[in-house]
Amino acid sequence: MTTRNFCGRTRREFLWQAGAGFTGLALTSMLDQDGFLAQQSVAADGAADWENPLAPKEPHFAPRAKNVIFFYCYGGPSHIDTFDYKPTMYGMDGKTIDVKTFGRGGHKNQGRIVEPRWKFNQYGECGKWVSDLFPNLATCVDDIAFLHSMTADSPIHGSAMLMMNSGRVLSGHPCLGSWVNYGLGSENQDLPGFVVMLDPRGGPISGSKNWSSGYMPATYQATVMRSQGDPILDLSPPEELANGGQRRLLDTLAEYNQQHLAARQDNSNLAARIASYELAYRMQSEAPEAVDISQETAATQELYGLNDPKCSTVGRQCLLARRMIERGVRMVQIYSGGAHNDDNWDAHGDLENNHNLHAGETDKPLAALLKDLKQRDMLKDTLIVWGGEFGRQPTAEYAKGSGRDHNSYGFTMWMAGGGIKGGTSVGTTDEIGSRAVDDKFHVKHLHATILHQLGLNPYKLSYFFGGLDNKLVGVEGASPIWKAIA
Amino acid sequence: MSRAILCLFFVIATSVFACADDAATFSDDQIAFFKADVVELLTNNCLKCHAGESPKGELDLTTRAGILKGGESGPAVDLKNHADSHLITAINFESFEMPPTGQMSPAQIKTLTTWVEMGLPWPKDLHEIEFELEAGPPPVNDETKTFWSFQRVQLPSVPQVADAANNAIDAFIRHRLTDAGLHPSPSARPRELVRRMHYDLLGLPPEPADVERWAAKISSADGGLNQSGVAELVDHLLASPHYGEQWGRHWLDLVRYAETNSYERDGAKPHVWRYRDYVIQSFNDDKPYDLFITEQLAGDEIREPTPDSIIATAYYRLGRWDDEPADPKLAFYDEIDDIITTTSQTFLGLTVNCARCHDHKIDPIPQRDYYRMVAFFKNVRRYGTRGNASVLDASVTAINRPADPGIYRTALTRYENDTKDAERHLKKIEELIWDDLQDVEKEDFQFDMNRVPIVAKREGTILKAPQVKTYRKQFSRLQQLKANKPSGLADALCVKEDVRNIGPTHILTRGNPHAEAAEVTPGFPTVLSPPEAVIPDLPEGASSSGRRKVLAEWIASAANPLTARVMVNRIWQYHFGRGIVRTSSDFGFQGSRPTHPQLLDWLAAKFVESGWSVKDIHRLIMSSAAYQMSSRPNKQSYDVDPTNDLFWRFDMRRLSAEEIRDSLLWANGSLNAAKMFGPSIYTDIPAAVKAGQSRPGSGWGNSSPEDKVRRSIYIHVKRSLLDPLIESFDFADTDQTCPVRFVTTQPTQALGMMNSDFIQQQSEIFARLLQEKADSTEEQVTLALQRVVQRQPTPDEVARGLKLIETLKTEQNLNDDQARKYFCLLALNLNEFMYLD
Repeated sequence: MTTRNFCGRTRREFLWQAGAGFTGLALTSMLDQDGFLAQQSVAADGAADWENPLAPKEPHFAPRAKNVIFFYCYGGPSHIDTFDYKPTMYGMDGKTIDVKTFGRGGHKNQGRIVEPRWKFNQYGECGKWVSDLFPNLATCVDDIAFLHSMTADSPIHGSAMLMMNSGRVLSGHPCLGSWVNYGLGSENQDLPGFVVMLDPRGGPISGSKNWSSGYMPATYQATVMRSQGDPILDLSPPEELANGGQRRLLDTLAEYNQQHLAARQDNSNLAARIASYELAYRMQSEAPEAVDISQETAATQELYGLNDPKCSTVGRQCLLARRMIERGVRMVQIYSGGAHNDDNWDAHGDLENNHNLHAGETDKPLAALLKDLKQRDMLKDTLIVWGGEFGRQPTAEYAKGSGRDHNSYGFTMWMAGGGIKGGTSVGTTDEIGSRAVDDKFHVKHLHATILHQLGLNPYKLSYFFGGLDNKLVGVEGASPIWKAIA
Repeated sequence: MSRAILCLFFVIATSVFACADDAATFSDDQIAFFKADVVELLTNNCLKCHAGESPKGELDLTTRAGILKGGESGPAVDLKNHADSHLITAINFESFEMPPTGQMSPAQIKTLTTWVEMGLPWPKDLHEIEFELEAGPPPVNDETKTFWSFQRVQLPSVPQVADAANNAIDAFIRHRLTDAGLHPSPSARPRELVRRMHYDLLGLPPEPADVERWAAKISSADGGLNQSGVAELVDHLLASPHYGEQWGRHWLDLVRYAETNSYERDGAKPHVWRYRDYVIQSFNDDKPYDLFITEQLAGDEIREPTPDSIIATAYYRLGRWDDEPADPKLAFYDEIDDIITTTSQTFLGLTVNCARCHDHKIDPIPQRDYYRMVAFFKNVRRYGTRGNASVLDASVTAINRPADPGIYRTALTRYENDTKDAERHLKKIEELIWDDLQDVEKEDFQFDMNRVPIVAKREGTILKAPQVKTYRKQFSRLQQLKANKPSGLADALCVKEDVRNIGPTHILTRGNPHAEAAEVTPGFPTVLSPPEAVIPDLPEGASSSGRRKVLAEWIASAANPLTARVMVNRIWQYHFGRGIVRTSSDFGFQGSRPTHPQLLDWLAAKFVESGWSVKDIHRLIMSSAAYQMSSRPNKQSYDVDPTNDLFWRFDMRRLSAEEIRDSLLWANGSLNAAKMFGPSIYTDIPAAVKAGQSRPGSGWGNSSPEDKVRRSIYIHVKRSLLDPLIESFDFADTDQTCPVRFVTTQPTQALGMMNSDFIQQQSEIFARLLQEKADSTEEQVTLALQRVVQRQPTPDEVARGLKLIETLKTEQNLNDDQARKYFCLLALNLNEFMYLD
């Protein structure tokens, strides 16, 4: 029998993960060994900050990126109609061919080709072919690494979304943003460390499961931020307390709580709870400032398309994302598309209507985000990730129409900024985009790349739960996609 | 390795070394390069497999000789032809793809390439790179079988101590304290103890008058506690029906109770609440724990199944269900894995689930044992295949046949007529739009949740507004009808087996459902055998295999070394905040050791002796001086034992999410605690939270005002949409068994407790209650504090509250009602309200 250490974890993490969450006091003294209680006893007098579990932590090695913006195209954008150019498909429309596909309609061996519905042109020094769906974004290709050979385990939205967000097709695992906050904390304690922005038409299927912290504490789950109205749930105090009344109330609350604490000085949880009210108070002023877009110049607002009704919602979200990471929020995830069917990229019916709508809403804001970050010299520290839970098939789903079924055998995602090699394309699909052929990558490699750019070793970032050292990239681990890294 | 082979190996190794390496002197720079860059690279990327006594492919990369000798495919490095060396082609993914988890970085590849090109610089004094191989899985043998938790429980003798206090628990604890030179803390104050006991057993606070009455009853003349008074209070609380709600909830955490399936549709599980009610009632009835186990695992296979024992088998139906899995075979095994994880951890404190893909790395549980456990459950039908009808078929059965056939027939006829009528209305409208539906809509239409939106979309085109209105009305009528079948036709969610084809069970290589290996039969973990599982022959006409009953009987046996220990440890944990074994669902090698092993065994023995009575264990624990101790700090003891391993005091705890909500509803007088059981209720969830759903509001109903203020255990547990207050205060994870809840402190909790609509409303109600019950502001402040902290506030505390009210009025221009309301809000935010001494 071998004796084991804490498997690379601190004593605190070990106890916490081993199920000591309930035992406030057991934890207290463990924290003490990390010098935590010393800070707490200072915090208890209200004069010093309490250490938030989201306090910034040291990465495993020097990071290439500090923050992540994951632009999630919910529903699954068609790769062969956007960035994966298939010249030989033109002229093949309606032709029935033998091809193995697997989507919501099940496994098929044959299908009717739906020729890509948009023209492609070459852009940038790299000469990347991009379809007419993204004329603005196309001007940024020299900053982008396209991953054309992505694969995933499921072509069904429910499980595929969980996989893209949490690395597993099973519900109940922490999502990428939770892992990142667990590994790195956040730079700004007055704002959430992980923010999700939703499409006003509705959330994605499975709702909050997509940004849940799973078996990790709720500390690491996302905060949903709205681009209109109160940005965070329960952020605004009631009207009649807004002018100093709430401060009075909090001061009195603190007096009661300090008196209660006086006889229980060794319980750091009580002090932490006192401090959390001050943090909430600061968040109340910090968050509205962070979302105050009126501070931006007219030129910036124009750049993001805020004056164009078609893309003003996404434009606002992209601009907010920049403002969030500027203030130290670790990860922002924006959902393009919501609800069901054509309210998102799930083009089962009319491919042209669907993709014209969603690309039209996002093209200009995405280009603006890349350009704006670049001109502020922030792109080098900000990792942008674009893509959905899968791509779409080269063939038609039904006897009539241009709708494409799901395709997890091969699809395109792209990354930019944060140490990514711009102007590159990694991996290929076959000549009709039905499956990945060269340099096949799995979702876990994408996750590994994101963690790696943030200075986290995907093999080492683990969380002990249910008897296992769980990792975002799975038990066996996965390497980053080196070819996409500068 | 026999001596002959060893010698041969040595000769070959030496000779290869000698002939291939004629330039084995390297510059200092080269050696430094090796030490600084190469060793770490090899260690991190290669040695996990290519080191030790039996390296993969017989290739040992820890010595220079090993690299040059190579393995099954020949030398790893060819010093004459660097570029074609296996090592170089493999790391470039040109021959083998190494490491198998993914390619190294270009910089790393360059480092190794340079090293090979240099001719493998290697320090003369270094024989091999030191590498600590991960300890392999522990074998099942006589040594591992002696592990403490695998030994049958024996009643230990109670140690003799000078001051034995109340009962044997104290003898065990004080014995250890004395050894450490520590003294137990004094008793808690009677009022503190009354509050603690109420929350522990009921999850609710006592009425102010009850606090006084019980505090007097449990006080003794000498300033200590009167034990007969304490015993009376324990019995009083155990007799309350609310006891089952509090302790039932602990059980629901363990079996990851939820009422929906997760995934895209997150559909509601039919009749699942009956299982919740069964659990509450079982605790209230003090159902013997061995029977409680047997009913859940095999309530359909026992000699005389009852409606309750059938309802209990919903245990198998509480988990996630992907109704359109990409790989159905994988989904089948994932679902069994979910059952094995929950069953082995909850009942046995073993992580058998860790042996799904390979032998358990820490515990002596070979992969074979995992699949022997799979074999017990292999015939359990999946929760459903797809759609509601498949769920009804696979997981729902009728219980409680009607006593009077006449009444039943009438009710049934009416029910059937009404159902048909509603369906006729719906069909008429559906026929109108059917041709207009896109293919994708036709597919969506098979799920109830999609129908109304699809029909409503045609309003103004094919359908007129009244038609859509009719559709909505008849649709909800049909739902109502189905949910309220006539009495006597009650259905239950339950387990069902398919016995027509009981197939073999196979070990799955690396857990891959498409890679079947050796066949296995049902069996208990080898390290705990004997006994062996004996599976009965399938009787004629049997509806299940009888396998689960064999497993249940083994688990629910006094001879099982784990079952009683694990359960008494959980009971202890829910009283003291931590188990005697802190990792209460892991009694294996990686779990923590019991801080008081003898005490644990004594309790386990008493538990079995009492006929597995949970209430008896409460009585034992709560009558101990250890339970009755004060939680106040003591620097001397703290310095010696900061983690309170020795139980020198009682640990404070924060209220759980449910306790917080129930208590604040209780404080303002609106809690509807009287109504127990039945279908779950829906609280008000803010639109902003529902906006996260793909169909905002879908699957979340609207309950009556009386229902909305029922206890939190009755709130519908929807996996993808939880009540925000309940969720933010660390509700149990709904997808995995939860032995210990987190206690987090976050600013978002503070925001919710200050600003949410819910807290604002409850504070207003609280303020109105004060106005009704007390005249002066001073009395109102006093009463508010009494109702949240269950003690008489000091004059200072009252004065502080009055001052705030005054300030809010004069400085902030709030009126009396507003100022009172915000004082109430403050009261509900007090640490003393949220934390128990």
